[in-house]
Amino acid sequence: MWAKDARPTVWAVSVVVARGLVKRFGDGRSARRVLDGVDLDVAAGELVAVVGPSGSGKSTLLHLIGALDRADGGSIEVAGRRVDGRPERELTRLRREHIGFVFQFFHLVPELTGEENVLLPARANGGGAAASRRARRLIEELGLGEAARRRPPELSGGEQQRLALARALVNEPAIVLADEPTGNLDARAGHSVLDLLRAVPDERRGALLVTHDPAATAIADRVVRMVDGRLES
Amino acid sequence: MRAALILAVARLRAAPGRAALAGLGILAAGAMTGTAITIAVSLSGGFDRAADRADLPDVTARFRERGPAELDQRIRALPNLASRSYRLEVTDVPLSGGGRSTRSGAVEVLLGGRRGYAVVDGRDLRPREGEVLVERGLADTWGLGVGDLLRIGVLGPQRIVGITVEPSNVAFPLARAAHVYLPREPVQRRFGRLPANVALLWTNDRRHLDETLVQARALSYGVRDLRLITREGVQVLVGQAAGIVIALLGAFALVTLAAAGLMLGSAASAEVQRRLPTIGVQRAVGLSRRRVAAVHALEAALLALPAAAIGLGAGATLTGPRTEQLLRTLNELPPGASLPAWLVAGGAGLVAIVALASAWPAWRAAGRAPARVLRGGDLAPAREGKRRFGGRARAARDLSPRTAERRGDGLAHAARVPRAARRGGLLALGARLAAAHRARLAATVAVLAASAATALLLLSLASLLERLAQDPALLGRRYQLTVALPPEAAPAVRAIPGVAAAAPRRIAEGSDAFALGQPLRLIAYPGDHTVFEAPPLASGRRRAGPREAEVGLGLAEVLGLRVGGTLAVALASGGELRYRVVGVVRALDNDGRVAYVGERGLVAAGLGGSPNLAVRLTPGADRAAVGRALRRLGARPRPAGGASTSNARFLGVLADVLRAVAAVTAVMCLYALAQALALVARERRATVAVLRSFGSGAGAVLRVYAGAALIALVPAALVGFAVERILLAPGVARLAASYADLPLSAGVREAAVVGGALTLVGALAAGWMAAQTIREPIVAGLRGE
Repeated sequence: MWAKDARPTVWAVSVVVARGLVKRFGDGRSARRVLDGVDLDVAAGELVAVVGPSGSGKSTLLHLIGALDRADGGSIEVAGRRVDGRPERELTRLRREHIGFVFQFFHLVPELTGEENVLLPARANGGGAAASRRARRLIEELGLGEAARRRPPELSGGEQQRLALARALVNEPAIVLADEPTGNLDARAGHSVLDLLRAVPDERRGALLVTHDPAATAIADRVVRMVDGRLES
Repeated sequence: MRAALILAVARLRAAPGRAALAGLGILAAGAMTGTAITIAVSLSGGFDRAADRADLPDVTARFRERGPAELDQRIRALPNLASRSYRLEVTDVPLSGGGRSTRSGAVEVLLGGRRGYAVVDGRDLRPREGEVLVERGLADTWGLGVGDLLRIGVLGPQRIVGITVEPSNVAFPLARAAHVYLPREPVQRRFGRLPANVALLWTNDRRHLDETLVQARALSYGVRDLRLITREGVQVLVGQAAGIVIALLGAFALVTLAAAGLMLGSAASAEVQRRLPTIGVQRAVGLSRRRVAAVHALEAALLALPAAAIGLGAGATLTGPRTEQLLRTLNELPPGASLPAWLVAGGAGLVAIVALASAWPAWRAAGRAPARVLRGGDLAPAREGKRRFGGRARAARDLSPRTAERRGDGLAHAARVPRAARRGGLLALGARLAAAHRARLAATVAVLAASAATALLLLSLASLLERLAQDPALLGRRYQLTVALPPEAAPAVRAIPGVAAAAPRRIAEGSDAFALGQPLRLIAYPGDHTVFEAPPLASGRRRAGPREAEVGLGLAEVLGLRVGGTLAVALASGGELRYRVVGVVRALDNDGRVAYVGERGLVAAGLGGSPNLAVRLTPGADRAAVGRALRRLGARPRPAGGASTSNARFLGVLADVLRAVAAVTAVMCLYALAQALALVARERRATVAVLRSFGSGAGAVLRVYAGAALIALVPAALVGFAVERILLAPGVARLAASYADLPLSAGVREAAVVGGALTLVGALAAGWMAAQTIREPIVAGLRGE
């Protein structure tokens, strides 16, 4: 599954369907339209990279798809479920069951060991022994056995980001959203993370990557460019 | 200075919510301080204020009625005498007014000279028919005012022209008799020439009062039932009504002030901790260390000034009326203008504490390298934890410089997480987040523990009050009932099934023959008094012979008595009884101013007549059956009472005061915890946001904050219980009554109430913090750390 050269097939099932997304920041004359009618599909088995200059709206798009923020217009479906206009409780469940995040700054909890960090989403959502087994399997498959026993301050950046990826996968989400996952790593560590990311998409899962990193775009099945709030293929 | 002021104001305006939260804490501490000052100032000088305003005499002499002229001839000859006046006191006079009545009126007919009372409403008496003054206690209880009519025995209705306070006794109805005052002329017109039975004496120099008293006794030949009581003795007598309670409240006020200071100090220190990055920036742009400290002190003072003023006002307003009611019950006066002066001084102290507590950590922080301060590390140098596999160096190797810098704070904190807290779910995670700043956690625990200990003390105090009033065993009494039957009926009572022992309990009031102003109470039983009353021995042994006495520790302290010494009792009849002190007992009754003596000597001196029978029941006896049997003998049994503070209204007032103070303590607890959680929430915004991004809802966030609250609350509760039991309770009990062992330690009920309150406080604080966090967009939280 995690072999470097594995390139899974792209299945026809869409795990993300976004249509006409609009997002504004500010009010009145100072209002700025960050997303201006964005359409995007991510299919199962597909790794999509979004690139573009700073401030073009890449992260905002990721936040809307990840139900971390609300769109001012348009519609979003994740794993066949509507995101737009849904109450916070439903969005919380959607994030829990279908979405995994990887952040630029890892956001591991420094007080917890690597394994506890990986387990955190499962434990936070009442996961039991099955979640623990899944976490250990992931740790094993990602080659993080040593890192899992230590706390983040004792780990390298690459190890931390790999643990963060394991954490994103522990609840078996339909889509993994990665925001600049290599933005704070040197080239070697970045490559090791990208190798793992490449292996995330499968028959039930897709991945959406926001990046400035040319190495990251090289592993993507599809690259889309964000310019002034619009996507260009 | 002006620049510092502008900067301070700007920072307060920039974060009004945070300023309001900090202000709330100062307000809570202010309320505690206001409460403590109000209680302490009101109670500490209440008697002196009333005595000064009433022009209370230095000595009050009571005796069998004598002609004023003959009496004055003797009294005029006393040394050190400044002035004197006389009264005729008639007791058990029926009074009625305002729809109420009593048969226990005490009519004071003023025979001229200085008054010895203060008119607090209306005017003083004029030598006219139909005018009366009433004591404030009677006016309050019956709802009487100036202009109302009061019917006095055969004198009929009299117009009330003034309300008086005379602190020679506690007020009606705590005192049995209701005092009213009449001018001599109209009474004399009706009843003829009036004798006197009370003389009020004022001396030139109170330091030589003893000489006046000795001479008074020498000149009292032929004067029967003479009882002399000094101003100091009156204070003791008044204090007996609520002595222990008031002393406990005073001691509590001291504890409260200390807790408020601790809370302010730790809160201000935590606030500066939160602002470390700002201090770093200030230092980086060239502000001097002194200027940084000054800005913080000024900002803190600007915030503290209104908050402390409101808090002090609230504390004084909350407890002021209840304390004043307490003073009215004791026939004492409120502090008047001196209370605001003390409150202002307290406010200045609070502002100074807040300013200093802010300036000091700011000064310390500003002394460190700005780069280190900018990273927001703890004020105390972070101890580096053991790093395996070259930990930190390895971590820095593949991070971009920006990330490495961002991680600095987290590294320092993570290294200090206790090993014990490395397992568990979200509760444990919350606990770990809070434990990352050990110094802050310790300060929070200290404040909460002080509050818990204070609350426990209050509840124990309330419980002790109830027991003092109701539980005779607390006073060392082993009898459960008293009956108004003659001593001859004792064998018949003893024959009742369920009665273990019955004997007449004789009581006589007297004063020390050497220090005539010191009142004391003699208690006597036939045979062994410990069958009926057995306060624990502090030293010596139990009395055995007829001329031996066990004295209370309170009396021993006042008179300097020791085992082997002599107790000389001056009797009202003019006689004297002498006893050898063989034991000192820890008696609570009568503030410990008691002596257990032989019955025969008392009877021979004509004292302790008409005693009640004390009835001790066998364990498990049927009280109702015993009661029925006693009623068949012609007497109504009464349960043995506790201390003299059995007046329900009085105890109600005290309970109100305690409840008000406890409410302030609970608010302080809530604030301290909420502030600690707010700091955790602010520092760990991203951690909580990440949790939420995984799909953790409000419940999970609540569990995290609950864990953070628990790690402070659990040790605080344990420390609080320990502090109350080991330090506060014994200390306050000793402050209040050095003459007795007060069982002030908290019991299971008090512990359960405080534990429940802490749980509620924790739930409220965690719930509030979770609600605040959930309202924030997750994206904002992710950007925040």
